[in-house]
Order: sequence, then C-alpha cells, then structure tokens
Amino acid sequence: MIVQQLLNGLVVGGVYALFALGFTLVFGIHQILNLAHGAVFMTGAFIALYTVLAGWPLWLGFILAIAGSGLLSVLIEVVAFRKLRQSGEAEFGAIVSSIGVNLIIVTVAQKVSNTLVLRFPFDTFPIVIYEFFGLRVSALQLFMAACAVALVLLLTLYLYRTQFGRQVRAVAGNERAAKLLGINPDLVYFQTFFLSGALAGAAGVLVGLAFNSIHFMMGEPWLLRGFVVIILGGLGSIPGAMLAGLLFGMIQTMTIAYFPSGLTDAIIFSLLFLLLLIRPHGLLGRPEAGAMRGR
Amino acid sequence: MKGLSLQGVCKRFGGVTAADEITLDVPAGRVTGLIGPNGAGKTTIVNLITGMLALSAGRIVFDGRDISALGADRISRLGFARTFQNIRLFKEASVVDNLLIGFHKLQQSSLVSNILGLPAARAETARIRAMAHDLLQRFDMSRFADFPAGGLSYGHQRRVEMMRALAASPTVLLLDEPVAGMNDVEAAELGRIFLEVAASGIAVLLIEHNIRFVTRLCEQVHVLDYGRVIASGTPRQVMSDPAVIAAYLGS
Amino acid sequence: MEFLLGYRPLFDVFLLHTGYALGQYIVLRAGVFSVANAGLSSIGAYLAAGLTLKLGVHPYLSLLAGTLAGVVFALLLSWPLARLRGVYQAIATLAFVQVVLSVNVFAEPLTGGAMGLNGIPRVVGTWTLLIAVGATIYLMTAIGATRLGRAFDAVRQDEAVAVSLGVSVTRTQSVAFAISGAVAGLFGGLEAFHGYALEPNQFGFSFLVAILSYVVLGGRRSVIGPVVGTAVLVALPEIARPLAEYRMLVYGALLVAVIAYLPRGIVDTLLDYLRRQHMAARAASTAGRQS
Repeated sequence: MIVQQLLNGLVVGGVYALFALGFTLVFGIHQILNLAHGAVFMTGAFIALYTVLAGWPLWLGFILAIAGSGLLSVLIEVVAFRKLRQSGEAEFGAIVSSIGVNLIIVTVAQKVSNTLVLRFPFDTFPIVIYEFFGLRVSALQLFMAACAVALVLLLTLYLYRTQFGRQVRAVAGNERAAKLLGINPDLVYFQTFFLSGALAGAAGVLVGLAFNSIHFMMGEPWLLRGFVVIILGGLGSIPGAMLAGLLFGMIQTMTIAYFPSGLTDAIIFSLLFLLLLIRPHGLLGRPEAGAMRGR
Repeated sequence: MKGLSLQGVCKRFGGVTAADEITLDVPAGRVTGLIGPNGAGKTTIVNLITGMLALSAGRIVFDGRDISALGADRISRLGFARTFQNIRLFKEASVVDNLLIGFHKLQQSSLVSNILGLPAARAETARIRAMAHDLLQRFDMSRFADFPAGGLSYGHQRRVEMMRALAASPTVLLLDEPVAGMNDVEAAELGRIFLEVAASGIAVLLIEHNIRFVTRLCEQVHVLDYGRVIASGTPRQVMSDPAVIAAYLGS
Repeated sequence: MEFLLGYRPLFDVFLLHTGYALGQYIVLRAGVFSVANAGLSSIGAYLAAGLTLKLGVHPYLSLLAGTLAGVVFALLLSWPLARLRGVYQAIATLAFVQVVLSVNVFAEPLTGGAMGLNGIPRVVGTWTLLIAVGATIYLMTAIGATRLGRAFDAVRQDEAVAVSLGVSVTRTQSVAFAISGAVAGLFGGLEAFHGYALEPNQFGFSFLVAILSYVVLGGRRSVIGPVVGTAVLVALPEIARPLAEYRMLVYGALLVAVIAYLPRGIVDTLLDYLRRQHMAARAASTAGRQS
C-alpha cells in the first residue's frame, strides 16, 4: 500500500515540479517572487477546458494552454514588474504588484466562469487503468508523468544547450554585465517569463484533468504549497525544484494518507518552517542563501 | 593606554587565505598605517577586527582583553569605530539624522521610555541632537545639517562618515581608505583631523593607498601583500624595502 | 448626519485595519520582512474571545491577554527568524500563518473549527477603536523620535553600518517583532469584540495580503503611510460599489499602478517631494544671500 501511495505521490510530484520550476526560475533569475503564478496555472486549466468544451481536441487545448499561459506570464512581467527594474524597492514592490495582478486575473476568471466549479467532459481523457506488480496506474497518471518529464527535458535542453539559454543564465548572473556584452535583457525577461508561465499552464491542465475541479481560486493552494517546494529545492535552483517537486508530492500524499486530514497543512507548513530554520537553502540551493554573515 | 594588538591572525575562506599570520599593533595616541596593493587583504583585516568576520586562527587583544570571539555590535560598544571603503551613509536621510545614529552607543534611555516616548527619551534625543550640531560646527559642515546625505559632494560625504564614526568618542578608530578620491587639499584637512584625534589618546589605524598621505601621518607603517605582512617600520624604512617596491611595482 | 452614520461600520473597519496596518508597518520599518501579523492577530482574537466566551473573563482582561499572547508568540518567532533575511523571513512567517490557520480549523473543541466562534459580546465600538488607533499612532510616532526608532531605521537601511555603530540587530528586530505582536494581538481582540463572530479564514492569506498592501501602498517609512494606505484600500470597494464584481479588479489595478508609479508609497513619495522642494527653496535662499 505504501508503494502505491508513493507512486501516486510521485505523479502529483511531477506536477508540483512543473509548477515550482516556473516559480523558482523567475526568482532565481530576476529575484522576483511572482505571487500571480497561481493565477497563471489556473488560466492554463481554463484555456484547456474551454477549448475542449468548444468541441476541439484535448491536445489542442493543451498546446493553447501552454502558449496562452506563457503569454499571460509575459504580459504580467510587462505590466507588473518592468517599471520596477530600475528602482531600489524591487523586492517588495514586485510582491505587492504581483498580488495586484493576481487579483485582476482571478476576478476576470471569476466573472468568465460565473463563480462555478467546472469539470472536463467525462471522456476527455480515456479512463484506462493498468496493473503491474500489484500497483495500479491510470493512463492519465502515465500521461502526467510523461508530460512532466518531457517538459523538464525541454527546459533543460533550452537552458543548457542553446544560445538563448546561455543568455538567460548570463542575465541571471549579472544584468549590467550581460547588457554590456550586448545581451538584450528584455528578450531574456520575455523568455524566462514565457517559460515560467508555460510550465505553470501545463501543470494547470494536468491538475484540471486529474482532479476535475476547475475554478477561479484553484491556484491559491498550489501557490502556497509552491513555496514549500521551492524552498525545499533551494530558491533559484532548477534541479532543486524538480527534485523537491517529486519529493513533496510524495510527502503530501503520505501525510494525507496517514495523518488526520485537517492537519495536513499544519504539518506541511511546520515542515517548511523547520526547513527554513535548519537549512534555508534547501536541498540544492547555494549555502549563503538566506543566512547572515558575521559571528 | 588602550591599544589594539593583532597576534597571528589568520582568515581562510575555503581554499583562499585572505589573512596569513598577521601580527601588528595599533597603539593609542598614534596613527598606524596599513598599506598594500589592491586585494592585499586590508579591508579583511578591518572586518576581522570589528567582528564582521570570524577569525580562522590567532587572537585580537584590546586593552589587555581578548576580543577575538566577540560579536560586531559588542566590539563597537567597547569603543571601536570605523569608516567604510565605499561610503555607506543613509543617502535619503539628512546629514543630522546620519549623525544621530552615530551616538547610539552613548544613549542610556530605557526601552520602555523609548517605546512610550517618555520625556527621558525625548530629552536624550534633544541632547544628542545638540551634540550632532556641535560636531557639524567642528567640521565646518553646519550649513549642510538638513541636506539629504546623498546630495552632498564626495568630499563632504566622507566628512559626514568621519563625523559619524567620531560621534561616540571611540577609543579605536579604523579608517578604510578615508581620503580615496580626494584632492590634496581636502585630504590634508582630514589628515589634520586624524592627527588631532590620535593626539587625544585614540588608537588610529589608517588604511590608505595614498603613500604620501600615509607617510606624513604615520610613525609606524605595515605593508600587506597577499594577506601577509611583508614589511613593518617607519615610512622611510618601509618605502626603501625592496620587497615593498616589488609588491607595488612587480619585480 | 444620517449619511455619515451610515458609513460608521466602514469607519470601524477602517480603524481596525489601520491598527493591523500599523502592526505590519513597525516590523517592516526595522527591516524584518515578516508577514506573521495575520497569525498573531488570529491568536489574539481567538484567545480574547475564547477567554470571555468560555471562562467568563472580563473582555478588557481578555483583550490584555490577547495582546500579551501576540507579544509572546512574536518573540518566539523572532528567535528562529533572526538568522533569516528578506524573502526567507517572508516565507517563514507565511508558513506560520498557515500553521495557525490549519491548527485553528483542526482544534474544533477550542476554536469552533471552520465555523468559528459566535455570540461574542460586542463590547468594542467606534470610540474604543479610535482610542486604540490614536494610542498606536502616538506610540509609533514616539518611537520614531527616540533611539529605538533610529535603530530600526539603521538596521533597515544598512545592517553592517548599524552593527558597526553598536546596534544589536537581533535585539532591535526582536523588539520590533514584539511591538508588532502586541499591536496585532490587540487589534485581533478588538475585532473579536466588535464583530460578534470569528472564523479562521478571516486571518488567512487574503488578510495577510491586504495588510501588506496597506503598508506598501501608503508608505513604509512614515507613520501616516499605513493610515493613508488603509483608508484608500478600505474605501475603494465602497467607492467602486457600482462596479460590483469588478471591484476587486480595480483594487488589483490600483496596487499595480501605485507600485509602478509611486513605488515608495503614496505618503512617502509625497513627503520626499515636499522635502526636496523645501531643500531647493533653502538652497536658493542661501545662494541668494551669498551673492
């Protein structure tokens, strides 16, 4: 039974990894904690849903969701964060600005969906269950895992093998120096935010399919748990976010399975607090992160 | 007299040794110089003395007391003051407000009287405000009292930093390149103040690039290169030391 | 007159939220990026209400207990938080708020769970709130004029400099935390005795976001900043009432706009502008006298 739980957790973890990757990417590169990330995730789910409701195939909905979320994320950057790049108040200002954007997007979603909780039509994804070694895996779970793996691979390829990716990493290191080298920061911001949003949107579609409960507030719990994942992985660390996502999926599933359900949040967030106390840089973050210098 | 003494002080960052067996004295009543090429480790030493960095080995003794393991704010309260290589003033605050915080160590008002804004706390603020204005006058900066510190010229900002360091009547004053970027006239004026300060019994450590300046002010100079003291002595001795010449010019 | 009286409930909300905002403000002023106040207010509110409802304690004593609880928990938090900085402090305090919320919902026998507490005597009216807010504003202003306020500002602006001048960062930030805990606990209790009922979600993520917004919108340095920020954001849903479901959209848009154009907040930007005008005038007159 435990192994079954772990398996389920692993699949959910893949989705957490997708969500957290976008979150940590933007923080790692731009030092911006984008609290509208949950809204982008939610938008992905909605785009896919409405595409399917309009009679089009799921794969199209998926692609539109990824593209749409990516573009939304870029729009958020332009509206909420661009002006702050010069000012010294960036850290705070960015957070509150993202809160404002989040409100806007959520309100629009509320209006569009009439505050209803929506579902994908019954046969949107084939309901097939495979059994092996006494474990049950649904086709959907396999699909989720495959998507997560594929997207993560694409992201890694992009960041570490292409010129664009190198530029992204350069700007992450030192924006002014990168500018002097002829790299256009705007282009870099565009890419990182697009990627971040695309990943979140993909996660949103998968969650929408898996839990079949799509509503305008669905992003908030994911955002809050997203914090745990990115700290666990190490703020700004991409491999960290991947690893932590998987781990967290399993931790969450186990917690729900073996502890009273009302305490799930208390346990998870107490773990986060403890983590920040003992090892704020998480699994793969840089050790200086979060700490104070001096004796 | 209260003097500062470094004994075999070392600082290692992973594989890099920023300070290697540093032994030198900063006696009271005199200006002691610390010179060396860029990257020699001069600021590291100041950070070690003031408690911003922990020692890897060795001791720092002040007035007969081992202060090697004390925290930075504790060391400050023992009577240490420093200036910073890059000017670190509160740019948005007025000059006077920048000075007021310099008197923090001297203030005695209780926490409760501070929270409630009791007369004792307010009277104390008024007192140190008067002291700040005295200080401004002494440095001929009274007309800048209410200017935002960031709006002053470089030379004037350096003076404000100086005043802030002197505000609480320190016993040890550590100056990290205090006249960098100043012309000779401005530098000479500050130099005069350093000598006055030292003459009043304070131990002054002067870190500088400007060798002529150091020569005029210091009886004793130590030369640092790659974290190690390569020469110590009077300015004349040190300037003619081949090792020193090699360090600055390359051999 | 009736027109004004009709707005009394809104005014009360404004007063309560100004209190919350000031509690958030003082901790930010000392450079501590804490959003724990939502959790501290929850503790203060529930403790105060619980003591009166279940043990018959006099409301004023309960309020005192709530305030003290705020201080105690704040101090407990400040100890581990002392070694974190910036975003990490924010996330840790966010975690605290979530834990408080979750435990609150779970501990049904004590707190009424998701249904919360009902039937709390309404002991607190507009005048009490006015006095509480007035006292808090006085305290904040007084602190600013003393050594403590200067220590807060120093630690916030440049820790290394503050330390080199003998300021103990841990002690200063703990004091800031404690004061903010007291204010949070007090106003949580006041809310409990004003609103007849409490439910755990009123101190959740949305609340946290709201009080942070009051301070960032109004200004983080001056004491009046949070007051103005609260006024604007509390009044906004009322003013935008004709917009019905789009009120929150306007709220969000306002946040984005103010951060983009007045990143230091409405009041701080205004004060800076006035000060610069004043400087320029003085410089001009000095130059005039010299020529």
